[in-house]
Amino acid sequence: MILLDCVTKNFGTFTAVDNVSYSIQKGESFALLGPNGAGKTTIVRMLLNFITPSSGKITIKGLPAADPESRRHIGYVAEQHRIPPYLSGLDYLSRHASLIGLSGQAAKGQIENVLEMVSMKGRERKKSATYSRGMKQRIGLGAALLGQPELLILDEPISGLDPIGIRDIRKIIETLRGQGVSIILNSHLLSEVEKTCDTAAILYRGKILIKDTISAIVKDHETLEDVFFRYIEKENE
Amino acid sequence: MNNVLKISVYTMWDQMRQKSVYVLLGLSVLFIWIIRGCYDGGYSINGHMVDNTTVAWHISKIVFHLITGGMFLMVSMLSMKIFSRDQEDGSAVLFLSRSVFRWHYVLGRIAGTWLLCLIFMFILHATIVLTVWAKTGALISGYLSASLVCSVSLLFVIACVCLLSLFLPDFISALFTFGIFFVGFISDGGYQILNSDLLRSAGPAMTNPAPALWRVLYPKVFMVQAYADAIIGNSDFHNMGPFHPLLNLSFFILLILALLLAGFHRKEI
Repeated sequence: MILLDCVTKNFGTFTAVDNVSYSIQKGESFALLGPNGAGKTTIVRMLLNFITPSSGKITIKGLPAADPESRRHIGYVAEQHRIPPYLSGLDYLSRHASLIGLSGQAAKGQIENVLEMVSMKGRERKKSATYSRGMKQRIGLGAALLGQPELLILDEPISGLDPIGIRDIRKIIETLRGQGVSIILNSHLLSEVEKTCDTAAILYRGKILIKDTISAIVKDHETLEDVFFRYIEKENE
Repeated sequence: MNNVLKISVYTMWDQMRQKSVYVLLGLSVLFIWIIRGCYDGGYSINGHMVDNTTVAWHISKIVFHLITGGMFLMVSMLSMKIFSRDQEDGSAVLFLSRSVFRWHYVLGRIAGTWLLCLIFMFILHATIVLTVWAKTGALISGYLSASLVCSVSLLFVIACVCLLSLFLPDFISALFTFGIFFVGFISDGGYQILNSDLLRSAGPAMTNPAPALWRVLYPKVFMVQAYADAIIGNSDFHNMGPFHPLLNLSFFILLILALLLAGFHRKEI
């Protein structure tokens, strides 16, 4: 589904992502873990071609990430999802639906569905300027779910959400996993990752320290958090 | 191409959501209507009274050029923020996280802004036609074709400001574009004055040397304006060099758009 081959990204003299290689299979639910500045968001931005790698190759479904066709079946929720303040949630979703190629009743039906899923029904006609951060995240997730994506990229999707919102998103992720949707989840909340993902990679200073299934990474009597800190501390020594 | 159309429509729609667009349009139409009083006679030159039609003719031409100048200002204000605003409010991510080529996005934004301003300017220029018609009974349709000619200059402004805004702060990019205008105004304006019928009739002492190559090749925004003026008056147009100003400006628009697309292709979102 996704292949990163020796990908490096430099910003001037700073190396944000350093020779990263990994692949994600179809239906895999993959978590990218790491402290702030580890390079998680940079990898996501490269997957969406918002920035280009300094070296290395990224392919999505066999297509280079630079090819817009590779994003046809991707849903993306940004950390602190931004919605133009003059648009209502409904306008925002309609634009996404139109760009995907949905129109008429098909678009209307899917928008209704996702509004229901993200619990924004009844509030979709208000301007996004009046939305809280959590509501924007929900609308962002709704937009990502339009068009039945094969891959969902979630960059800190639960930041700004209340416990109910976090539970809702966890449920949505679990449903999508059941439908065979591949998921890339960037998150600081290790307990959430443990509950929702099959595989994980720990990223630190742009390098992948480990990538494996969560069951293989987490040994007996340990949590993912223990493993995370063990790897980070080892790297700091 | 479908995406270019969609993004153009969104761009126009987003601008039209702002009440200030309607307020500005309303005030401008009102202004043009109010100055119809100037079209009345009562002017005398060298002791001769000038008839209403001649007065209306000259004043309406001045208003025509003032509107175009105002539109240059408006369009540069709108275009200088296209990319930075989209980056800030999430519009760029909205479009580019989908299967939209970057050139679709750039051309869609530019086309939408241009079409909106073209319509805005056309309405104002059409108001002049109606006002002159109502006041003098003369229907000068040349204003409408001249308006469409001036819209090419609007596209040049949008492309230029957008290109510069990739590398310069927004306001500086608009200012820089006006700097380009100003140089053209001096160069082409001087040429037009030297070739005016008034100076030509002054006698053979007035010689007009061939302009320097850079002046011939320079973006001909002012010359397009002079060409529009010639269309209105159905008069001779004194071109500088072998290339028609519309051809010159179209070349620069294509060149700037190519540079803009190449520049935006590498831009980080």
